[in-house]
Amino acid sequence: MSRPRDVLDALHATIVGQAEVVEALVLTLIAGGHVLLEGAPGVAKTLACRVLAAAVGGVFRRVQFTPDLLPSDIVGTRIFDQRSGEFATVLGPLFANVVLADEINRAPAKVQSALLEGMQEHRATIGLQTLDLPAPFLVLATMNPYDSDGTYPLPLAQLDRFLAKVVVAYPSLDEERAIVDRFGAGEPPLQTNAATLDDVLRWQRDARQVFVDAKLRDYAVDLVRATRGAELVAHGASPRAALALVALARARAYLEERPFAVPDDVRDLAPAVLRHRISYDDRIAIAGTDPEDVVRRIVASVRAP
Amino acid sequence: MARARRGVALALVAAALALGAPAAAQGLRTLQVDAFGMHADRTHLRIGEVFHLAIHVHVHERVTALDELVVPNVGTMQLEGDERRVTGSPTGTDVVETLTLEPAAGGTYTFNAAYLDAIDARTGKPTRFSAEPVRVVVDSPVPSYPRPGTLSRFARETVVVGAGVVTVVIVGIALYRMRRRRATAPVFAAPPVAARLVPPRTPRDEVADTLRVYRSAPANGSLVRLRGALFAAAGAQPGATLRDALGVTRDLPLRTALGAAERTAFGPAYLRDASSVELIDATQAWLG
Repeated sequence: MSRPRDVLDALHATIVGQAEVVEALVLTLIAGGHVLLEGAPGVAKTLACRVLAAAVGGVFRRVQFTPDLLPSDIVGTRIFDQRSGEFATVLGPLFANVVLADEINRAPAKVQSALLEGMQEHRATIGLQTLDLPAPFLVLATMNPYDSDGTYPLPLAQLDRFLAKVVVAYPSLDEERAIVDRFGAGEPPLQTNAATLDDVLRWQRDARQVFVDAKLRDYAVDLVRATRGAELVAHGASPRAALALVALARARAYLEERPFAVPDDVRDLAPAVLRHRISYDDRIAIAGTDPEDVVRRIVASVRAP
Repeated sequence: MARARRGVALALVAAALALGAPAAAQGLRTLQVDAFGMHADRTHLRIGEVFHLAIHVHVHERVTALDELVVPNVGTMQLEGDERRVTGSPTGTDVVETLTLEPAAGGTYTFNAAYLDAIDARTGKPTRFSAEPVRVVVDSPVPSYPRPGTLSRFARETVVVGAGVVTVVIVGIALYRMRRRRATAPVFAAPPVAARLVPPRTPRDEVADTLRVYRSAPANGSLVRLRGALFAAAGAQPGATLRDALGVTRDLPLRTALGAAERTAFGPAYLRDASSVELIDATQAWLG
């Protein structure tokens, strides 16, 4: 029986640095949610997703989101079979254990909606048929914050479906040197089968049993409520954010083999849970304030128990 | 006419005083005075011997000065020194003022209460906080009168007058040196807040106290206070997490106690008894 730490180690064996990204991927896997990765091209967003898929086995599909993508390209469609004279269902790439939605903001809203409906409901409808998606089911979506031309920004309601949003930063100098050393002669083989799909399902069940004290629950709720009415914030986070924060805190405790969550879990994970659930008012551009600073200030304003 | 002008002037003065009183009240700081004591290191001494009168105030707030503190009138005592120390602590601020005094004459001296006026943070009302008065007995030197007949009456009178002049000069100098900031009227306006001198509390004292309470009543409130005291002892700010606290102390026994406090505070019920015992043992081990 594998432990979540085995997957973490498999990710670290390939990915240089990016500790927060790697941890967020494993935590989201344990918590049974989906993660949005935002970062410049070439910072190992896609590689991290591929390594994760290889580590847990199962079916991995990658979809490059483009403006001409249709919902059926994601969900699947029904094709008329001339030989049998019947319509046959062809499942789309959404029917996989790990789905990588690359540059999710380059597809129009109806495609995003089809994907996000599957993320929320864990099922998809093709024609008259409604089919369950495989379990575990994890969507890893990437976004490039720089090339905004020809993109379709995700509405707040859809962003709320992502358990966490992780900002993938550029590597440090030493990390960048290590990347050249490790990948200079081609991509090293990915570590496969660090865990099985059954292991992942077991982790998800067990993580839900991790104890969260009432003080910690209140801390998570206070953090979410602090986003509402905060300076430069137009709309704060929804109650779903508090659920996500507690779920991720449980996952972190489970990853660290603790039977209970602690304030550090909640505080550390709060930015990843809150940053994409907040919309900012116009003054943030005028003030030249980094949205990340606003999130940091909100988190710092709430006293840990 | 002159009487009428005097009447108007008195009315103006009265009005000015009436307006000034609330303004002065508004100028008071809001303070939570946790302890207020005055203490003499010697209460029985002889003329010429030096003693110290210490006034200690502990306020809950972090302050850099306590200008409101009024020390008692030292009367005819010779003021040899006056030192005020303000020290921050995890539980607030300690202010200790030490007067070094030398009695110029024998007798029983009562030092009126030191006091400070502030808005009481507990009640929100203007309050005079004061310590209890201190009494010091000064023995006169054993009189050594010359044998009768050895000195003429004139000489004896000269000695008595000279001694009187010297005493008046000493008293005058003492009064002049203390005129600047001494209270001139005895004050017994409010009952003493704390009569005993409370030495500055250390984080270790706080941990010891909260541990004692937690041991006798291991409830959630006492656990929160003990954990807070341990965090403060580590040097962590209020609202810090365990990682913050571990980041500022290398003290291994304290780190062990911090970990146990975290498990007890946030662990599930089935682990709480064991972690509570571990917390008590680890904290006791740190206290030594």
